[in-house]
Amino acid sequence: MAMRDLVTGAPSCGEPSSSSNPLGALANALIGSSSKTQVNLRGGPMVWAWDFHVGGLKFETPCQRKQGERLKEIPTSVTTSSNGNFLAGVEEPFVSLPGSEFEHPLQPNIQGSQFLQGFRSADQNRLADAWDEIQRPQLPFAHGSQNMTNIPLEHARLQPDLNGPPQQVLSSFLHSFVNSGHGGVPFRPASLPLLGLSEGDKQCIRDRSTIMARHFFADKTEDFINGQVNALLSSLEIDNHVRARGPVPGRYPELEEYWNESLAMKPVPHVADGWINEFAQNRVGHADPNAWAQSFEQQHGSNGWASEFEHEQSQLGMIGQMRGANIPNLAAMEQTRMLAHTLAQNSDPKFQNSKFLQFVSKMSRGEISIEENQFKPATISSGDWAAEYEQQHNGGQSWADQFAHEEARSPFTLMFVRFIYCFQLSRGPQGWVNEFSAERAQHGSVNDEWVSEFSKLNVNDDWADEFGRQVAEGAFGETSADGWAEAYDEYMNEQAALKQQSDASRGVYVFSDLNPYVGHPNPLKEGQELFRKGLLSEAVLALEAEVLKNPENAEGWRLLGIAHAENDDDQQAIAAMMRAQEADPANLEVLLSLGVSHTNELEQQAALKYLYSWLRHHPKYGSIAPQEQPISFYHADVAGLFTDAAKMAPEDADVHIVLGVLYNLSREYDKAIESFKTALELKPRDYSLWNKLGATQANSVQSSDAILAYQQALDIKPNYVRAWANMGISYANQGMYEDSIRYYVRALAMNPKADNAWQYLRISLSCASRNDMLEACDSRNIDVLQKEFPL
Amino acid sequence: MAETSTQLKSDAIFDQLKLHLSTDAGKELIKKIGLVYQINIAPKKIGFNEKVYVVDLKKGETKEGPYEGGKPDATFSFTDGDFVKIATGKMNPQIAFMRGAMKIKGSISAAQKFTPDIFPKPSKM
Repeated sequence: MAMRDLVTGAPSCGEPSSSSNPLGALANALIGSSSKTQVNLRGGPMVWAWDFHVGGLKFETPCQRKQGERLKEIPTSVTTSSNGNFLAGVEEPFVSLPGSEFEHPLQPNIQGSQFLQGFRSADQNRLADAWDEIQRPQLPFAHGSQNMTNIPLEHARLQPDLNGPPQQVLSSFLHSFVNSGHGGVPFRPASLPLLGLSEGDKQCIRDRSTIMARHFFADKTEDFINGQVNALLSSLEIDNHVRARGPVPGRYPELEEYWNESLAMKPVPHVADGWINEFAQNRVGHADPNAWAQSFEQQHGSNGWASEFEHEQSQLGMIGQMRGANIPNLAAMEQTRMLAHTLAQNSDPKFQNSKFLQFVSKMSRGEISIEENQFKPATISSGDWAAEYEQQHNGGQSWADQFAHEEARSPFTLMFVRFIYCFQLSRGPQGWVNEFSAERAQHGSVNDEWVSEFSKLNVNDDWADEFGRQVAEGAFGETSADGWAEAYDEYMNEQAALKQQSDASRGVYVFSDLNPYVGHPNPLKEGQELFRKGLLSEAVLALEAEVLKNPENAEGWRLLGIAHAENDDDQQAIAAMMRAQEADPANLEVLLSLGVSHTNELEQQAALKYLYSWLRHHPKYGSIAPQEQPISFYHADVAGLFTDAAKMAPEDADVHIVLGVLYNLSREYDKAIESFKTALELKPRDYSLWNKLGATQANSVQSSDAILAYQQALDIKPNYVRAWANMGISYANQGMYEDSIRYYVRALAMNPKADNAWQYLRISLSCASRNDMLEACDSRNIDVLQKEFPL
Repeated sequence: MAETSTQLKSDAIFDQLKLHLSTDAGKELIKKIGLVYQINIAPKKIGFNEKVYVVDLKKGETKEGPYEGGKPDATFSFTDGDFVKIATGKMNPQIAFMRGAMKIKGSISAAQKFTPDIFPKPSKM
């Protein structure tokens, strides 16, 4: 079967260049990227840029060896066809009889009008020229060669050699398509001899060329790209009206949309979701994506396309890819790349064996992906796919690298991908460094452009220079590499808490899993009892059960909020208090608590709003507040109102408390301390008031006084986690890190969910040179820490 | 409105640092680090409407406005929220850097000494 030869490249394999099997390679390239786009679109251009680097190292296996491998994988033509059917989606009226594909006529009208539309929206003359060419698509080849004499020499190669056996014609033709990107010259359609492409092949070429064209011609307009693709397809007698035929298969419009978005260079945070959904839909629609992947791999060799792509990339330079990518992130990535480069030079075996590198290799095998800045195990289907591939091919690793790219969706992922390659390449026979400098030498002009594009991005050249110099001097030593590996470890920990934090920071209450109090007959009573006993974390669970049962119970939410605040979790406290306020908008305790928590979180406007509401809803002082609620609050105004209130009722401790909070907000700590002390004279058993005094004193660097105040609070309420954590802070701020550790550990033993305390503990451990305990801290192993740092 | 829109969470941290530098623990920092950092804080987006602070750990001062004594050893740019995260240990500076949440200009060795323990931790009421 001719197609078999075509795809394996058997007849043309003798050619010396890396693109010795252009048809198979390009077909592969085309196919490879379609599967890719199902998984990834965002960041596509960047991905390709990296393929380039990889390709330089990974895909140099001699053609002869590959050929043997590929031959085994070639399926029957039936497989090929059904494969094509899958690609096309259900709308494709597919005829599976052998040979029937030849009866598939070109439909010039639909195609023509679509094409014309594309050109009309552009006003470049060369597009018009191209259109003139395409108006006569059925012209004999002789016409094409006439034109050739008028084309400048550098464009001459764009004209394919259309003599010879079908596979050579097609390969030459596809090459000329790819080459047409170099000069920005529209691709000229030509009448080809009968090539005997099967429907599946056509499908592949159509899908692939549509996508690949966007990479080849990344710097061109959409119209130009459409024109190129249409010219290619019309010459190959492949009809390109998938879109014109009734319901759209979905992939294309999405593709366009995302592509346009990426061209517009706006960071688009959630496009990946669209693709995930899309992919999921496709999976439903086509039942078995693995089959598709498999048959593709069977049909086409593995690495050819990549080397082909690498080859093309090296000619195209990086500029096209860069242009499509997310520019603001590139600035950060560029900085990261320089760091990664340095890290790669570190030969310390400890670092090379670090979790960071383990992660990197995992990711390169497709076992981990990152979605929206969160690490996730690869989805089942993609994992299978990767595994399957590895079984089939020795070159699996390099494909998996590819896969890692495809999974890369968020800009952050892309940065990590850069790390991966820097590390991998540094261990490879040719360093990435060499690669890069070679590339530089080859494409000086392109890179200049690239560099200048970067300087526009405010990537600091000084910094780069400085960095280079310091690297040369060895300023960035082994310890710093450890630091980076550590940073990675921390990042992983951060990830674990990220979801929860982001929910809570949006004011959404995050419930605990596996709550034993769910189903309790009277969780509110239980919660109140636990709270009274000082078992804060238990009380939280019981109260959560209560508000799950009675979501409108203001008292349940309020006490839950108080419990969280005392447990040193302001985010959750705010979330719970907001629910309490919804249920009971005039509850003074709730309003004060919200004011305090927002003050702790340094959120001045929100704090002022709630403290003002407190005054307005107060039966005694409500009349002082203006009837109309201001749109924004000025601290001085609100403080003035409360000063009036204090004059009205100097015996009301609450007014002094609010004043104390207000002065904290404006960082007038002396006044705040005075207010709290006044309030304490009226309410000496209020432990939270003692803590407020202590915190204020600590913030105004009166740490030793603060510790006395906290001690008062803890005498009244021994399980007051916040006060224990504050003790730790006070010791740490005095440079007494060993002591601070003991208090943090105490706080954490009572509430292992107090994230702040974990973070502060880590800092104190570092400062106290107790790096030996960092692992226990990172794994939140409170038992080990308690044993090591008893109070 | 104009007044409130220039209110940054970071202001509180710098205020506290100013006080902190007068304490014994603060003087330790001057001994240990002895560098000048300029920190640009943007309310929303790095590079826009930045408020400039100088943390002079040679003299033990914190001031608003660009450094006047020559070139700072390192200059950082953050958004308000990210700076607070870094100063309170919620975010690791290296991770911030990797994410593009922190821009650095100047000496790398100086930048590496910029750690969360410089900043006093705010106590909570």
